[in-house]
Amino acid sequence: MGAVGTAVRPAGGSGNAASGGGSGRAAGGGLGGAVAAEWTKLWSVRSIWWSLLAGVVLMVATSAQLAIYTANSNTNADPSDNEGVVAVGTTAIRALELAQFALVALAMLAITSEYSTGTIRATLQWVPRRGRLLLAKTAVVGSVVFVAGALLGILGAFVARPVLGGWASFPASGTLGDALAIGLYLALIGAFTLGVGAALRSAVATLITVFMILTVVPALLQASSITVIARVADGLPGVAGEHFMLRDTAPYPAGVGLAVLAAWAVAGLVAGLLVLRRRDA
Amino acid sequence: MIALRGLTKRYGAVTAVDNLSLDIAAGRVTGFLGPNGAGKSTTMRMVLGLDRPTAGSARVNGRPYATMRHPLREVGALLDAKAVHPGRTARSHLRAMARSNGIAGTRVDEVLATVGLAEVAGKRAGTYSLGMGQRLGIAGALLGDPPVLMFDEPVNGLDPDGVRWVRQLMRSLAAEGRTVFVSSHLMSEMQLTADHLVVIGKGRLIADATIVEVIAASSVTAVRVRGPEPAGLAALRDRLVAGSVSVESRDGGLIVTGATVEEVGDLAYRLGVHLHELSTREASLEEAYLELTADSVEYAALARSGEVA
Repeated sequence: MGAVGTAVRPAGGSGNAASGGGSGRAAGGGLGGAVAAEWTKLWSVRSIWWSLLAGVVLMVATSAQLAIYTANSNTNADPSDNEGVVAVGTTAIRALELAQFALVALAMLAITSEYSTGTIRATLQWVPRRGRLLLAKTAVVGSVVFVAGALLGILGAFVARPVLGGWASFPASGTLGDALAIGLYLALIGAFTLGVGAALRSAVATLITVFMILTVVPALLQASSITVIARVADGLPGVAGEHFMLRDTAPYPAGVGLAVLAAWAVAGLVAGLLVLRRRDA
Repeated sequence: MIALRGLTKRYGAVTAVDNLSLDIAAGRVTGFLGPNGAGKSTTMRMVLGLDRPTAGSARVNGRPYATMRHPLREVGALLDAKAVHPGRTARSHLRAMARSNGIAGTRVDEVLATVGLAEVAGKRAGTYSLGMGQRLGIAGALLGDPPVLMFDEPVNGLDPDGVRWVRQLMRSLAAEGRTVFVSSHLMSEMQLTADHLVVIGKGRLIADATIVEVIAASSVTAVRVRGPEPAGLAALRDRLVAGSVSVESRDGGLIVTGATVEEVGDLAYRLGVHLHELSTREASLEEAYLELTADSVEYAALARSGEVA
């Protein structure tokens, strides 16, 4: 390392040495500053690229596999499992069962890496208001996951189409709607994950919790022969999200599915905010 | 200025910071000293709103940290140089930091040059040595050009050149009228850097005084008297003790604490005592500090006798 100057010049741009400046009226900072900082932080580590790459790989593989199953079911000797012509967007939605975890990881790392690396103590010095910080993270992670999710949905549809062959229907507006619904679903799951991550702070605990709620618990509940228990699964975010994306009418309208999903996202964020406020960083 | 009022932090039954009230003034370097576990870092974290006080308040320029819209323009702090994502480059880290507080992007390259990291700014922070990480932390503290600065053990991991640089940096920041609050366990370094000292032990305030006052108050600061006539020295000792001055006989001479060298010299002249030596022995800051904190060392080594530290 070379010789180091000792001079500390009065700052270009923000000079307020020894004057106690920085009033609330000055430009920058606030929620806008917090969002800009979170955006810069998200894209300046490699893990986001790994998460997005994993999303692409999982979507391509799962969507193709589900399309092969559909084609097989339609052509095998057993007529009872025929699915007939399938909208390619539906195949992409079903592929989320696996592919969603790439974006869950992205959302999770946005908060748990702060704790595993100690960066949270720096972050809270920049943005000391806990609510503002969590809101900024939610805005950045939510919008990135929304766009990435919609693009993954379109990718899944394009992968499914040639595999399904004659069994594929590819309505342009319907598929676009499916892709946007996938983006919205993943953005809300991302927000939920972010909240859980802020509450639990550990990556392992967060991943296990979200995986249980999205995949394991619904599977266990739905396997039950008691109707009431099986119906409880409809209140879980993964199942509600699927009802929303597939535009189901039963057990409740698609809009209710979206509302249930959004309620989980809000609940997760509130839990995260309470812990952020109460516990020392 | 940093103002602490009745600042207290308890973790269950353990009191880490106990009713701390003090002002850290602008325009000078205030050293923050105390044994391991005395509550220095906890105090600094509470000033920055990272830890919530159990009672009391910490204000910077009259306001709690968390209410500031641009906190980095008001308080710069180096608490933990490792509080950087190892996968992020130094430049990205500082850029995100600048954006959060509406600080011009050009300032990032300025502070990188100031701390001597300009050439490695594009490298990921995880590849940095301890000293480079420390420099990055200092760059972050300077980023918002704040009037108040706090540094927790800033010279950790720095080479002698870096230590000297930090010392000059602290002095020049204080000379510009800023409030500089520095914790350290290197007494020799503090003696060179700080004007004022705050000493805490077991979370309680032990001393809040200038370095000169702390050293003068130490019992190690003493007048040494030596002479060829034991009877004369004994007479001198009796007179001093009568004046409630503490005197110790050692190596055929006297060690006098609580009186100035002039007072002892005048008295010896009046008594006609023949002297071969009349000298002052001034305590080092380290000696004064060890004496102050002797009762509050929490993690003392069992065998302290042979230790120099």
